[in-house]
Amino acid sequence: MTTTETPRFVRADGPDKVTGSGRYAADLTLTGMLTAKFLYAGVSHARITKLDVTAAKKVPGVLAVLNQADVPLVRFGSVADRTLFAHEVIRFEGEVVAAVAAIDAATAQKALDAIVFEYEELPVVNDIEAAAQPDSLLVHENWEDYAADDDVSRQGNIASFTSIARGDVETTLATADHVISSRYVADASHAVPIEPRGVVAQWEGDKLTVWSSTQVPFQARDGVCETLELPTNKVRIVVPHLGGGFGGKCGFHYEAHIAALARATRRPVRLVFSREEEFLAPDRRREGMIVEITSGLRHDGVIVARKARILLDNGAYSSDASFFPHMAVMHALGPYKIDHVYGEASSIYTNHQPSGSVRAPTAPQACWALESHTDELAKAVGMDPVAFRQLNTVDTGATGVTGQIYEEIGLQECIREAVAASAYHEDLGDDEAVGVAVGWWPSFPDASGAYIKVDSDGKGVIITGAQECGTGAVMTLPYLAAAELGMAPEDFEIVYQDTSAAPYDTGATGSQTLLNNGRATVEAAREIALQLKKLAAEELEASPEDIVLADGMASVVGSPDSSISIVDLAGIAADGEMLLGRGSGSPPESPTTPKTVSCVGDQGMNAWAGPQFSCHAVRIRLDRETGVVRVLEVNTAHDSGVIVNRVGASGQVEGGVLMGIGQALTERTVYGDDAKQKNAGLLEYKLQTMADAPPITIHFAEVYTPDMGPNGSKPIAEAPNVATAAAISNAIAKLVGRPVRLLPMTAERVWETLQDERA
Amino acid sequence: MSLAIANSIDDVLTALAGGARPIAGGTDLVVGARQGKSPLPESLIAIDRVPALSTIEQTDGHVRIGAGVTHSRLMSDPLLVERYTGLADAAALIGSPSTRNVGTIGGNVMNASPAMDTGAPLMTLGAIAELRSVSHTRQLALSDLWTGPGQTSANPDELCVCIVIPQTPAYSGSAYVRLEYRRAMEIAVVGAAASVVLTEDGTIASGRLAMTAVAPTIVELVGASEAMTGMAAVDAADVIASLASDQAVPISDLRGSDRYRRHTIGVMAARALDAAARRAGGERIGVPVNRNLGIGAAR
Repeated sequence: MTTTETPRFVRADGPDKVTGSGRYAADLTLTGMLTAKFLYAGVSHARITKLDVTAAKKVPGVLAVLNQADVPLVRFGSVADRTLFAHEVIRFEGEVVAAVAAIDAATAQKALDAIVFEYEELPVVNDIEAAAQPDSLLVHENWEDYAADDDVSRQGNIASFTSIARGDVETTLATADHVISSRYVADASHAVPIEPRGVVAQWEGDKLTVWSSTQVPFQARDGVCETLELPTNKVRIVVPHLGGGFGGKCGFHYEAHIAALARATRRPVRLVFSREEEFLAPDRRREGMIVEITSGLRHDGVIVARKARILLDNGAYSSDASFFPHMAVMHALGPYKIDHVYGEASSIYTNHQPSGSVRAPTAPQACWALESHTDELAKAVGMDPVAFRQLNTVDTGATGVTGQIYEEIGLQECIREAVAASAYHEDLGDDEAVGVAVGWWPSFPDASGAYIKVDSDGKGVIITGAQECGTGAVMTLPYLAAAELGMAPEDFEIVYQDTSAAPYDTGATGSQTLLNNGRATVEAAREIALQLKKLAAEELEASPEDIVLADGMASVVGSPDSSISIVDLAGIAADGEMLLGRGSGSPPESPTTPKTVSCVGDQGMNAWAGPQFSCHAVRIRLDRETGVVRVLEVNTAHDSGVIVNRVGASGQVEGGVLMGIGQALTERTVYGDDAKQKNAGLLEYKLQTMADAPPITIHFAEVYTPDMGPNGSKPIAEAPNVATAAAISNAIAKLVGRPVRLLPMTAERVWETLQDERA
Repeated sequence: MSLAIANSIDDVLTALAGGARPIAGGTDLVVGARQGKSPLPESLIAIDRVPALSTIEQTDGHVRIGAGVTHSRLMSDPLLVERYTGLADAAALIGSPSTRNVGTIGGNVMNASPAMDTGAPLMTLGAIAELRSVSHTRQLALSDLWTGPGQTSANPDELCVCIVIPQTPAYSGSAYVRLEYRRAMEIAVVGAAASVVLTEDGTIASGRLAMTAVAPTIVELVGASEAMTGMAAVDAADVIASLASDQAVPISDLRGSDRYRRHTIGVMAARALDAAARRAGGERIGVPVNRNLGIGAAR
């Protein structure tokens, strides 16, 4: 495999962040700025009987109090089931009932206290299995009135349903040598970015600027335009430094609320969330899930058929979660060679906080269920779990569960290398075990744009719509531009995350930044390269095709003495035809759904563009008397194509693994009987800390992937979060004697499973 | 709100008599206020710059640990690590390095959380709290000081100036062990401390155990010494585990069910006894024992 090393990688935003000089949304101060606060419902399901803000408006120092009556009644979301403020019915505790702008936080709080908000409580829908029953109380009585994409299949509390069928599952299961069924249940969890979100809005005439800690500025802009009924060129979203997102800051959140307050008060307005608000209010949390999988096997260990049924907790509104059932089915069927499959998944409305994209949505939980089930299968036929996977998982040229035939992929290399780096075949200490799991994740080709200009001194600026959420993807763009132009990465500054300055990009979502904006940046750089070559050809009396750009010079090929510096060329260009490049390129084509598959509620997930594969091996130690599990080492291998930025990619793997350990062992959101969160804070929602981080080894299976990302690359940001919990589960099961069927596999749950095993 | 900075204990006592509340590291007070637990007091007196509160002194038969001594010092002070090791174990588990750099023993003791880490080892070491006001000084056993979760029998005008611990005898050792789900920023699910004195033949001459997060306050294990005297520690483990599980009155909350806590307090008690006895026997087990033996001090 070829390796493209980034010799060194200095993040342009690094010094600001580590020295504290970087400015985040909450750091912004504008003259006359007001403080915003929200009144939340604080009840999970209720009909509003009275909302009177008269007294609140009279509190001295309060300049505006708004509710749904003050903004257009626009429903939005992937199923259009949401309004900016609560409208008639409350469906989860974090719903915004009213928003206040006041001279300071204490005054804003006084106004909130003065709002008369009365409601009639309704029974809560708190359990997805009960909610899936046809006679269940409906979270949305008028669900049929909501607009949705024609492909979204809905019914009652089922906000989105998908099924995938290929071959003949029932007949094949009936004749299989072994049939194993498993059921796994995962709790909801959270993204928990270190920076609670901030939003600042200011109007100048009819033009609005919003500074927001969003991962997706263009989606935020579109949300403002949709809900406040504004044209896109009147709304500018700027993102200062973003303090992490992990999907929690995808989507459109509170930009329109604060814009409406700023318009009503004719003053700039700032909202900054507390940690508790960050847990309770946004429509982004990792969905709870119930996964049931049945597989049929031959005596020799070949999987012949598989069916899966999944229920997902959609929460009260649909956010961006309509595609989750389709994604979850793919993860429950897995990267295996099985000709007879049936999977179905329903995302169920409940009175919980809405689910939305959190790093690799649906994948860690569904992979955990499938890969734990896979070890059960291996055990049933007496095979080594690694050998079992090598027998049954896809390889180059193989046909996957939906009939997609894979071009060159590195899953087998991943399995081989992750296991080889681990202690899988070694003698282990007491109460230690190594668990292994495989995972996969798609790439998302999409439109994306960038400009580049090179000014008279030969210094460049990349002006990109892409959003840096901390991964370093945007910070890698100068390396790509520099490589095209024979310049140094340090020659480029980046203007980014500003919707009015730069062309469109989807944002820091779906691991797509380097895949799509990398392509755009390379395209833009190539335009400038052509200009430079043309200029150099004139100066050197050669043909443009014979000019090479390297080491800051334009030279005639074969005549190194005949050259001119790019700085000189830039000076010449500045007086005439300027060095301006623009790029978007054509997004790679997504494979079409194979004809052998029938699919209800198709959300475009049957066949994956640029599929990424991974294998994680995790060594743990179990304290048998308490159930406490400690992760001792994680050995990872990833096929994310050719690696463009090794430092950045490794950082993604390390972060994904640590997030995965948290999901495996400690991170869970607990709901009370009232459907409210019981642990909306960092004291009782247990993240992993640096003190818990184990040694992590990384192998990149650098399969050159044509027609995908720059240099034959595929994305990397979400994939490392897929298989860690699954591998930990398999290690625990080896020591306990059976899997722990609840996620996270908390110490108490492990201990209870040990008691069951002994009994 | 007003904040004054004291230079001497007398400054502090005068301020307390005037209704001020003391603040040292602020790791409970400020964090609690930010979480909305209870607002900051109207009047605060900062005690972290009072030199007399941050000394560790060996006196006749005792060690006096100033209330302002930080957890970072408790976990690394050579005398405490050598002779009062259980206390050092506990201090080393508190919060994060930054919590330990500003949080103090006086704050931990007077905050009176049933999940506090220094409480159980202090109790097994026979520590007493010295409280002082403008008018008097009194010494109080910890079991008399802690009256409920977050509640003490100290008067509002009294300052805890130091913790006094009797000198430990030869052939003695102590340890604190806690059940934790992660290795930093953790609060005890349950915890147990043990102090033991061995006879020359290695059997237990006397000992005390105390338990964390299984009752409204830190509680001492009743009858522990009688139950294990004359036994080798390894043989006493089961007896002590049962005693601990029997005497615990844990609640169910997000950190663990009562059933799980009742079981694990026994495990922690046995492990604390094991580590304390090994230390009493001369074995060097680094601080904190939680990290230097297996998970949660498992053997």
